[in-house]
Amino acid sequence: MASTDHHDDHHGISHVASIKVLIGTGGTLLVLTLVTVLATKIDFGANINLGIAMAIAVLKASLVILFFMHLKYDKIFHTVVFMSAILAASLFVGFTLMDTGQYQHTNIWNPENPPAAPVGPRPTSG
Amino acid sequence: MTEQPHEPHGEGEGHGHAHDAHGGHDEHGHHPRFIQHHYDDAQHQFDSGKLGIWLFLAQEVLFFSALFVAYILYRYHHPEIYSYAHKYLDVKYGAINTAVLIFSSLTAAWAVRAAQLNQKKLLILCIAATIACAMGFLGIKYIEYSHKYHEQILFGRYFDPCVSSGGVPMLTKSNECHGHKSTVQWKDGKALAGCYQDIDQDLQKQDVQADCKVEEVRLEHGRPARVAAGATHDCAKSGGTVIAKGDGGTYTFTGACDEIMVIGSRNTLQLDTAKKVAVKGADNTVRANAVDAFAGDNSTRRAIAKGISGPQPTLAGVTDSDVDENKEVVREASRTPIAERCPEHALGHGGGHEAGGKHPCWRVGFQPAVCARKANKDQYGIIVEYGDHKERGHDVRIDATCKPTPKAPEPADVFAEPTGQTKLGQKAVTPYHQLTTHEEHELEAAGPPPEHTNMFFTIYFAMTGLHGIHVLFGIFVFVWLLVRAIKGHFRPDYFGPIDFAALYWHIVDLIWIFLFPLLYLIH
Repeated sequence: MASTDHHDDHHGISHVASIKVLIGTGGTLLVLTLVTVLATKIDFGANINLGIAMAIAVLKASLVILFFMHLKYDKIFHTVVFMSAILAASLFVGFTLMDTGQYQHTNIWNPENPPAAPVGPRPTSG
Repeated sequence: MTEQPHEPHGEGEGHGHAHDAHGGHDEHGHHPRFIQHHYDDAQHQFDSGKLGIWLFLAQEVLFFSALFVAYILYRYHHPEIYSYAHKYLDVKYGAINTAVLIFSSLTAAWAVRAAQLNQKKLLILCIAATIACAMGFLGIKYIEYSHKYHEQILFGRYFDPCVSSGGVPMLTKSNECHGHKSTVQWKDGKALAGCYQDIDQDLQKQDVQADCKVEEVRLEHGRPARVAAGATHDCAKSGGTVIAKGDGGTYTFTGACDEIMVIGSRNTLQLDTAKKVAVKGADNTVRANAVDAFAGDNSTRRAIAKGISGPQPTLAGVTDSDVDENKEVVREASRTPIAERCPEHALGHGGGHEAGGKHPCWRVGFQPAVCARKANKDQYGIIVEYGDHKERGHDVRIDATCKPTPKAPEPADVFAEPTGQTKLGQKAVTPYHQLTTHEEHELEAAGPPPEHTNMFFTIYFAMTGLHGIHVLFGIFVFVWLLVRAIKGHFRPDYFGPIDFAALYWHIVDLIWIFLFPLLYLIH
């Protein structure tokens, strides 16, 4: 470990992460884990709680990607590859959620307790 | 790069490894052993590998996103399932595993640095720490999974939980839970017996009014018992199947008998009632008050309702199975009354496992999925709770007879004297107080799971299971790297495998960073 404490530059083939950055990232991640657990115990309302938890998760994920995975110092093309995967995944989610309002509540048919007849105008013949 | 041209076939011998221990990172002791011949130099090989692993990681994101879509869609439509079911998960284990994975990510990242700087001992240490953390993660996962397996908190149709998410014992279809046993007997998707209607069960009232006589029946399996000729046999004392074997004997039975087998000729049987009498042999006589099923040949004389007069019961031909002496029969060995009533789930006092209750005790269990199959019919089973954590298999059965509560009790009943088993107490006078949000949640967790809660666990096991497989695969990769690191394969100009495995390991950590709040920390 001699003479290797500040080695932020490119060393030969690839970037070498400094010990400071590694421990700083790991420590922040652990603290954020504690924060996310504690934040759940406080009631901000279901949606805000979910929002906080997800915001912390995204922050943690960014730290992992930027520093542990060296993406900050890596080729821009690797960022493009990874971000396009994230984009595709969010398209999956987005398109699936887009038409959720279009589905009716599913009635499981029960002969002993049939669902009520639909309310509305009689369909006209023809 | 400063690389010298390498030998085309990576056949360089292992001499250079003597330098490894020095840790001098400026030493470009070029060693082309692991540079494949189709790459120009070490940099070329490293860059190609790095692009490959990033493409793989992009694929991993898409791979897992399918499960995240399932999760999000289902949560959007059924938030109540998520808010109920996540209480089955222990945040403690999830948080420990998150910390373990973050620490292993740190050691994996550090391993890359150590390899880049030619620090062989540190590299070995970092890889070993990563493997240890990965195994620790799987160990904790094993604790969680085995707990769920025992409590039958599983996916799809195997979701038949022994406890509610608030820890209150519940009726199950399997009726093979640890620490408690219920009256319900399930087979082929139907509750055959042990479900009762019209038991007044209101969770908002403490000390519910159900009035049941509950008994634990110990069963023993064995061959049918033989009865001696000339003796009187009391069916009420020892039930089950009995055999009368011999010629010309007289057998007397009292009480309600289950099944009597007669093997031999010219015997005379005198009995009160029996579910079944099977006779094999000639010229036997059976006198009884009532017999449900009769098997024998035409020479059997049978008389129902004391004396020879009266209608003859239908005689079915006897088969070998009717008079099988070695037939496996179940007998009642003992009956123990369970008089103590379990304390009901009291608001603000946690679940049913609170201290102070005596064991064994019984409680009323209401689960629509187990007992009340038909709409508009509230059916209940009786659960006997034991203090231990033992499983009671087929050797134990719970019998209960419950009195239906009066439909419209008189107001005076509320203040009636407490009886032996039911204590109508102070709480019942003010049954409906406004619940706080916290109390509502607690009440919800004490009750049965909402419909389709199994879907949460289907998604839970799919996500954590797939993630666990990734952790397992990571262990194999890191063990391989550990062996190579010990052999001294990695050098500042050749550390690609460490870097790529670390990247893979970070994405495994990354997915868990999202799984933890999504599964364990639902508010």
